[in-house]
Amino acid sequence: MENTFEKIGASFTNTYFNMFDTSRESVGQFYLPNAMLTFEGDQVQGPEAIVAKFKSLTFQKVQHVITTTDTQPTTEGGVIILVVGQLKTDDDPPNAFIRTFCLKPVNGSFAVFHDIFRLGLHNL
Amino acid sequence: MWLPFPALRVIVKQLIIRHKTFGLINSFFIYMQAFTPLYCSKWLVADMGDNIAGLTNGHSSSAEYDFLLKFLALGDSGVGKTSFLYQYTDGKFTGKFISTVGIDFREKRVVHRSPTVDGTVGRSQRVHLQLWDTAGQERFRSLTTAFFRDAMGFILLFDLTSEQSFLNIRNWMAQLQTHAYCENPDIVLCGNKADLEDLRVVPEEKAKAIAEKYGIPYFETSAATSQNVTKAIECLLDKVMLRMEQSVDKTAGGKMGKNGKKGVELEEADRKSGCSC
Repeated sequence: MENTFEKIGASFTNTYFNMFDTSRESVGQFYLPNAMLTFEGDQVQGPEAIVAKFKSLTFQKVQHVITTTDTQPTTEGGVIILVVGQLKTDDDPPNAFIRTFCLKPVNGSFAVFHDIFRLGLHNL
Repeated sequence: MWLPFPALRVIVKQLIIRHKTFGLINSFFIYMQAFTPLYCSKWLVADMGDNIAGLTNGHSSSAEYDFLLKFLALGDSGVGKTSFLYQYTDGKFTGKFISTVGIDFREKRVVHRSPTVDGTVGRSQRVHLQLWDTAGQERFRSLTTAFFRDAMGFILLFDLTSEQSFLNIRNWMAQLQTHAYCENPDIVLCGNKADLEDLRVVPEEKAKAIAEKYGIPYFETSAATSQNVTKAIECLLDKVMLRMEQSVDKTAGGKMGKNGKKGVELEEADRKSGCSC
């Protein structure tokens, strides 16, 4: 039987990426007030800044395909999630990505406090 | 000794090591030229789209070549970089889709003959071309020096049907001048999608003017019909090889003083190639 944290992890990941792929300006609702995002090394904090960062990306369309989702419960009752997948922006070839979320429990629900993103590139 | 490319040190070393075989290779091609009209074209496709899926700089174990050159295709998203390279490499992609995610380059083997001053064909060199594609990665990262590392030539593309992609040429040139191995690297400017004449918004004169301003060649290309695709890359290769030869000649010149034998060999090779046509 699946553990609760695994269910939370899987359901969050699906909801989040569906939302991101359809309207990325709406993902702000997933983040806590002081939530942190490290996007390709760029650090931003707060839902507004995070959404602004996503909106500044130059593609029109984006589609995430998740390969694996690994989860662990945290000591504070939250969930840490590692997502490995591929994303396709407009007509570009697909790129691999790695993303880590750390969810905190808030009033019986969960919200993102940490979010770290990297493309899976090795030709740097 | 001044070398323009970081990677050139290795290549120069390679060239010096392989120098002894140069005379032999030249004689071979002179022979081929005399008996096969086909070989009289300046370019020979020795091994089209050689499939190498290696992740470590793409060295093929069976590969025998004199130069390994890395070219980078740059330009706004959607201008047709991927299709352009696809067209040049005869539609042969390297490796499998999944394994090359994020490591997107194609390869092609050509034989380059340097044009000489008197119009005759110079010495032949086997060139292994690596053509790198940004694969949309430019949307996520601000381009850094690492991105341009070891690239010796740049194919700068814009879309003839997109004013914005043309205006952004200025930004791409600035990026190149900042991050490439030197301030004036070898670049060709390509106005792509020339087949979509009805949708064209960038007039040829405007594109030519900007190319002239930067002192780089301009081609109107079409990845769909292959118009000028090979011509543009060959032009870039000519420029890179010329730069390379000039720096190698400097190296060889230095060697000649200290090592008479090498010098004689080089002169011999030059003389042979000079009267090969």
